[in-house]
Amino acid sequence: MVIVAGFAVSILAGVVLYFLPAIQVALRDTGQANTSLGGDPQLRPVSASESLSSTSPFTLLLLGSDSDSKFKGDYLTQSMILTRVDPVTKHVTMLSIPRDLWVRLCNGRNGKIDQAFLHGGAQCAIQTVEHDLNVHIDYYAWIGLQGLVSVLNQVGGVNVIANNPVMDDYYPADLSGGNPFDYQRILVLPGAQHMDGTLALEYVRARHDDAYGDFARSQRQQQILIALRAKTKTLTLADIPSLASSLGSNFQTNMSIGQVSGLLPIAGSVPLASITQVVLLPPYTSTEVVSNQDALRPNWALIRSEVAKFFPAN
Amino acid sequence: MAFSGFAANRSLAAFQTHGGSVSLVSATSPQVRLPGTIFVSQGGAIYAISASGARRLPLPAGGDWIQPRVLPDGSLLVVRRFDEYSDLYRVSTAGKVLAQLSDNNQATSNKTLQLDHWILWPAIGPDGTSVYFATDAPKPAPSQSYEVDFSLWSAPLSGDMTIADQGVTGGTRWSVPDAYTGGDVEPVPLPDGNVLYSSYANTGKGTVVSVLGVQTGPHSTMVSLTTPAQNCGAPAVAAGGATVAMVCDHGQTADLEVATLSGTTLSVPRVLVANCLCNSPSWSPSGDNLLYMNASNPDGNFGLWYIANAGNAHPGAAKRVTDTSVDLDATSAAAWMAR
Repeated sequence: MVIVAGFAVSILAGVVLYFLPAIQVALRDTGQANTSLGGDPQLRPVSASESLSSTSPFTLLLLGSDSDSKFKGDYLTQSMILTRVDPVTKHVTMLSIPRDLWVRLCNGRNGKIDQAFLHGGAQCAIQTVEHDLNVHIDYYAWIGLQGLVSVLNQVGGVNVIANNPVMDDYYPADLSGGNPFDYQRILVLPGAQHMDGTLALEYVRARHDDAYGDFARSQRQQQILIALRAKTKTLTLADIPSLASSLGSNFQTNMSIGQVSGLLPIAGSVPLASITQVVLLPPYTSTEVVSNQDALRPNWALIRSEVAKFFPAN
Repeated sequence: MAFSGFAANRSLAAFQTHGGSVSLVSATSPQVRLPGTIFVSQGGAIYAISASGARRLPLPAGGDWIQPRVLPDGSLLVVRRFDEYSDLYRVSTAGKVLAQLSDNNQATSNKTLQLDHWILWPAIGPDGTSVYFATDAPKPAPSQSYEVDFSLWSAPLSGDMTIADQGVTGGTRWSVPDAYTGGDVEPVPLPDGNVLYSSYANTGKGTVVSVLGVQTGPHSTMVSLTTPAQNCGAPAVAAGGATVAMVCDHGQTADLEVATLSGTTLSVPRVLVANCLCNSPSWSPSGDNLLYMNASNPDGNFGLWYIANAGNAHPGAAKRVTDTSVDLDATSAAAWMAR
């Protein structure tokens, strides 16, 4: 059986959250064209003067996909993290949406939520999450696998405390240039350590030898996102060109320069104690076989109650 | 296949920062000078730090040399880690390979990589003739299960051992891990014959945590010394076997703590360093002074730190041994030789 490894990519969303202002300034200043930036025109158009440095809380859907050669532009989202940022209270909430969550997709069909992006890109992913979780989403950011590794390397990696030995004898060997369906063994040792892009990807992507599988790696994805906060204090304008080029087509967003101009100081000023992490373990979800697929059946009443609490309408 | 760890991307010529090489030998300008020789790992190489400076052991190229341990005869046990397996070696302090104690490389052109094995966290037994370690054996046959977790084993230093999916031929199994957690790691054989270690466990509540446990013999029931809520690991025991240093993980930060071990009972720990990125404590030969790895800020390099009289009621202040531009492998404890 081909095991399509999930790709954690909320991290990139984290990168977006922290670095997008600089990246977009760099794109503007360097004159590089990137059609993936600028966003989906059907997605809640906003004026250029609107800025995230305002006092209003906003929501951001972070999406991550395997984007290696196994796929040809038809990407599932292996990682979805719904994030709410309150610039005034400096509180950040991150809710990981399991990729196997069985939902009503934007096209009216039932399926796993990771298929929404495949069927209709970011717009479908957003519509699906908005409808099923009863939440409003202001912005999105999507990152591909190689982009995540590149950006983490560009910023010099992150310091992380690995909670336990992360082991996987069936980890996808899809970044080494050979057969993308091959496996490799990986081991991330426990404890505090420095991780470069490749090691961090292994940390957030491995799932086979894990008591909590996708849930555990969702927690690790959020952990990497939080670790990225430290980088906001060391980023300078001189880093921008290389950061921008490292993303390339591995990045999409609907945020404009004006909208993200205030993100960097916000990210750097959020204290650890003001970050709430949410993962939808049972009883919020339950494992079932649905349409011959291993899936997670949502308890919508419980989930929507939590979403209403953590992601209130402004 | 590209190496999957971060260390392989770094040049091995000198101590380095995250960003690039620096022509720096930290021991020439340390904040604190320590007696004897301290062995650390950085960028896949073993360095010896002493009063005369720091030097890189000229070990054979290939793989990462990590987790040095000092043997009673003055040689070192060192793990050599490759992409998908690791092996244990005995080497001289001059960097000469004296013996290869395991051979986990499948020297075939069409290997099944799941048959490879890890061996890590070597520790010398109290009589100096045996080695304790963690390895991912036994494990189910390939394609039968995804499970791969560490178990604790011991084996004679003088004998041959073979690690296979069924277990370690020539070795003694000590523990049975909690499945899909990472298992049991970081064994510390104690003078009384017991073995202290970190055991990862599934709480059943969405988390995997580490507890310090002690066993009085192979396959004996583990006695928990810490609670799941404490989430402590990385034990290091001072000479004499009574003072335990450990790192307790709180998610984004950790505490470095010490406690007193008496049989299968651990005292209430004292926090030496709070809210740190501490890892891999190890003790001086005398058992008085503690070394550990730490990054002084969330984005900083991992350096070697020192606390004098760490087991006392009034320990010394934490001092950085290596320069701030040095970036050590934080998952590899330092080994301190008296001379």
